Amino acid sequence: MSATGLSAEANGKQSGASRLRRHTALLVIVMAALIVLALFPSFAQPYYVTLVLPAFAYAIALLGFNLLFGYTGLLSFGHALFVALGAYGAAVLTSKLGIKSFELILLASGLAAVVVAIPVGLLAVRYVRIFFGILTLAFGMLFHSFLFKFYNITGGDTGIRVLRPALFGNEFSDLDKTAFLIGPFYYYCLVLLVVLGFVMWRIVHSPFGLHLTAIRENSRKAEYLGVRVRMFRLAAFLISAFYCAVGGVILAINTGQADPETAYWTHSGELVFMTVLGGFANFFGPLVGAFVFIFLKSELMSLTQYWRFFLGVTLALIVILFPRGVMGVAQDLWSKVKKKQ
Amino acid sequence: MQNKRRTLLKAIGGAGATIAAQPYLSFPAIAQNTPVRVGIIAPKSGIVGTIGECGLRGTQFAVERINAAGGIAGRKVELIVEEETNPKDSIERLRKLVLQDKVDCVQGIVSSGVSLAMGAVAEEMKALLVFWDGTTQDGVKETMPNARYVFRSTDNECEAVMASLLAIKYWKGQFATVAGINPDYSYGRNNMAAFLALLKKFNVDAKVVAEQWPKVGTLDLTTHVAALKAAKPDLVFSSLLFADLPIFMRTAHGAGLMDGKTKFVFPGAGFQHTLLKKQFTPEGMIFGHNTLYFASDNASPLQRLFVKEYEEKYKDYPHWEADRAYFAMQVYKAGVEAAYKAKNAWPSKEDVISSMEGVKIESLGGPGHMRKDHIAEQTFYQGLTTHKNRYDFATLGQVDRMYSDQLQKPPGVDFWKWIETAQIKL
Amino acid sequence: MTSFFDILLGGVFHAAVLFLVAAGLQLVFGVQKIVNLACGSFYALGAYFGITSVNWALAAGLPPWMFLPVLIVSGIVLGAIGPAIEALLRTIYARDEAFQLLLTFALVLMFQDVLRFFWGPNPQQLSNLVTEYGRLSIGTFSVSTYNLLVIAASIVIAVGIGAFLQRTRFGRILRATAENREMSQALGVNVRWMYTSVFTLGTILGTVGGALVVPTAAASLDMPVELVVEAFAVVVIGGLGSMRGALVGALIVGLMRAAAITFYAELEILAIYLVVIIVLIARPAGLFGKPIE
Repeated sequence: MSATGLSAEANGKQSGASRLRRHTALLVIVMAALIVLALFPSFAQPYYVTLVLPAFAYAIALLGFNLLFGYTGLLSFGHALFVALGAYGAAVLTSKLGIKSFELILLASGLAAVVVAIPVGLLAVRYVRIFFGILTLAFGMLFHSFLFKFYNITGGDTGIRVLRPALFGNEFSDLDKTAFLIGPFYYYCLVLLVVLGFVMWRIVHSPFGLHLTAIRENSRKAEYLGVRVRMFRLAAFLISAFYCAVGGVILAINTGQADPETAYWTHSGELVFMTVLGGFANFFGPLVGAFVFIFLKSELMSLTQYWRFFLGVTLALIVILFPRGVMGVAQDLWSKVKKKQ
Repeated sequence: MQNKRRTLLKAIGGAGATIAAQPYLSFPAIAQNTPVRVGIIAPKSGIVGTIGECGLRGTQFAVERINAAGGIAGRKVELIVEEETNPKDSIERLRKLVLQDKVDCVQGIVSSGVSLAMGAVAEEMKALLVFWDGTTQDGVKETMPNARYVFRSTDNECEAVMASLLAIKYWKGQFATVAGINPDYSYGRNNMAAFLALLKKFNVDAKVVAEQWPKVGTLDLTTHVAALKAAKPDLVFSSLLFADLPIFMRTAHGAGLMDGKTKFVFPGAGFQHTLLKKQFTPEGMIFGHNTLYFASDNASPLQRLFVKEYEEKYKDYPHWEADRAYFAMQVYKAGVEAAYKAKNAWPSKEDVISSMEGVKIESLGGPGHMRKDHIAEQTFYQGLTTHKNRYDFATLGQVDRMYSDQLQKPPGVDFWKWIETAQIKL
Repeated sequence: MTSFFDILLGGVFHAAVLFLVAAGLQLVFGVQKIVNLACGSFYALGAYFGITSVNWALAAGLPPWMFLPVLIVSGIVLGAIGPAIEALLRTIYARDEAFQLLLTFALVLMFQDVLRFFWGPNPQQLSNLVTEYGRLSIGTFSVSTYNLLVIAASIVIAVGIGAFLQRTRFGRILRATAENREMSQALGVNVRWMYTSVFTLGTILGTVGGALVVPTAAASLDMPVELVVEAFAVVVIGGLGSMRGALVGALIVGLMRAAAITFYAELEILAIYLVVIIVLIARPAGLFGKPIE
């Protein structure tokens, strides 16, 4: 899989000065985006602010997903499984076990996802490419059926209620749900995104991350060099599961319900769609993809009843014409601008 | 340190509260020529797409007549239609309708999973929401014991209760073994459980010889039918109600299961009634048409008009979702008009809600009212099938009519306890 | 005994239809290495179009008992979309498989609304034409003739594909291209034309499958996404790219499903997943698949 953006970052073949320049420019853009996001609730209409929450959730989930897809080269069509695990984790903890601490919910759901990801991953990383995609699709649907069948535990088709969590011990009970969501919860999730994003940045730039890229480029060569390919793939799989579960927790709190359709394979397809839309070859691609997709889908749903068709067309255009997604287009434009200078 | 953190968090919360409160704060003077905006959330695709379509047609019929007569308290009704998909996306549409489009009322929803999640959200948003359908027992108990802003339809299990009562009334003593083939989700499970509970209550000694739980919308039921046939039941109870119902009918007929020795009870047959062709749908089966039986002899002029217009426009015959949608719109209209009259000015949301509680209206299918606990009561129609009609599908020969106060639990009572202890008449 | 036979036949019937769809998947994967997520969409299209064709033919005066040939022909006619879609997929052959999978997912999204646009949200069915062929009775056994015909048709097609791949020149070239595309091209094979034909054939298998199942079932809007799961289970069990795998996999899935429904109705679909996992642990490439590196 050719993803020149990623390997160039990893190569470090540029000069020190230009690297510093690039990093500074990057930092400025990221800071600007964060400031916009932080100020968003004060100037945007409440509905659009509520849309940013699923965008946060998917952004976090996709950071993990892209570790597996963009950096390790494994396309999973079943990662909605882990998003659903996060959602149901939040549901069970808040409404069945009475645990309200958001921090505890995040940790527990994330760990639950990792625990489930171990056997699934062990089986799945034996395969690559298409096989990996089909297998993960099957596992995702297995979980979906499980959620339906064991309705006494999982609530079946209606799912389980997700109650409002306490952020650092504070339930903000004087605020109604919408105020809670676009107020303290919004900022908490923004900070969570920044923190988890930073962690992921360190992961992909660490020796571990470089190994993943090497495995993606040429797994046989990596094997010869002593890299235990399967272990690394499994590790990436587990990390991606954790991130997806965190995204699932945020989604579930936003909706107030964990339902089995979260685990359906077309939802996994949406995860891939968002990642590719934003640009899988760029660290920030998935984040951009999450935001663009959420707003695009909402606008399309308001405009036409055939929104699925137009989403499909968008995906087809991206795949055929703009495979490196929005960030790819942005990078191309940036290079053109720089060339002119 | 603790206090500083709390104050900071509270400040952020306060900012959020102010922002969130904006849509609900002001009630500007409403000019008589601005329309009443009603948001509709109904499915358009997938297995329930056909149900959403019929419901929407009911809403459109209601709105056309309301607007032709001058609107609700003089203001015309404007519809904004959104699609119901899964809980997460449907809630986003609700938020858009309430926060962005600032509708006065939201109506719709067919799926029980979505209604559960959406009800809680609407309550928290203080948004006036009238459900068409999708009311299940467990959900209501947990999430909306005391709904303030949300109004619910009759219980999903009403048709199962009525069908069971009819089965006992017509066939008690004629069956010793029963089998069930029901869709594998809360609706199917609750219906079958209600049937068995009622058999027990009326001391009908029947052994369950087979229970099939096909996945919702399964299109291949050959094996299920074969397994049912092998169990040799005297009576089959089936709450199948999507595309799988006509398939089951055809397959069962083809396999010889409908040769007259087995009795059939279909509480939800009305949804697919036009697909249940005479060739494979014998007479003498119990069919449920819920709140609208299109060919009722005692139909009101309103219903006759609706059915006639529906037939001309859509070359089809309506089922009860159209009535549910019509009912929702009428309840809202009645509430607004009563509150307007009492106040002599445009009523607030709380005024409307108070007026909607207890309001009686005439729906397409017959009389109905909204209980004080925000659960609807409507007239239900079920009966035995017949071929003596001018259509190519089976209709009802013998029609039984029951008001839902005999079919669903009264306010504040648990459904299963009610079945056990209440005085339910046959 | 009667019931056992009924159940067995039910399972085989389900397997027959699954085989057609899986065969289409395997053919396309074997040669072009594309896994088509839109296989369910073709199946649904075949179902809807089959209904329209039969209704049209009946209105035009065709005797009812001829509906089966009409269904098959309508499925084949739909193959016309094959080249167009293949041309679309061709734009990204050079790219990674992930993109090909994604493009087929885009097709799934588009098809959902295309189906709704043309046929509306109501499920469609053919009125009781199945009874035209009546039932075959041997002693106490009674089975729907139509179901037997569909099973027979599947067997014929299975044998036909086998013979085609093994005996004909085109089949040999096809297998060679599947093994080694560059070599085939170097030897003068018009790979482009081969790809188009194979994809069209794969499409036809899916649309005919949908058309054949519709008299006993219905055409509904959730068919496209639901079928993919079962079809994938079949190819995973059977082994990607293997025709024999499609046949055996379909039989296993069909019979397992029938067994689950009969003996432990709660399991149904979970039973199939269980088999998938067991097969994968025991034989990672599926029963007849080639070992993966």
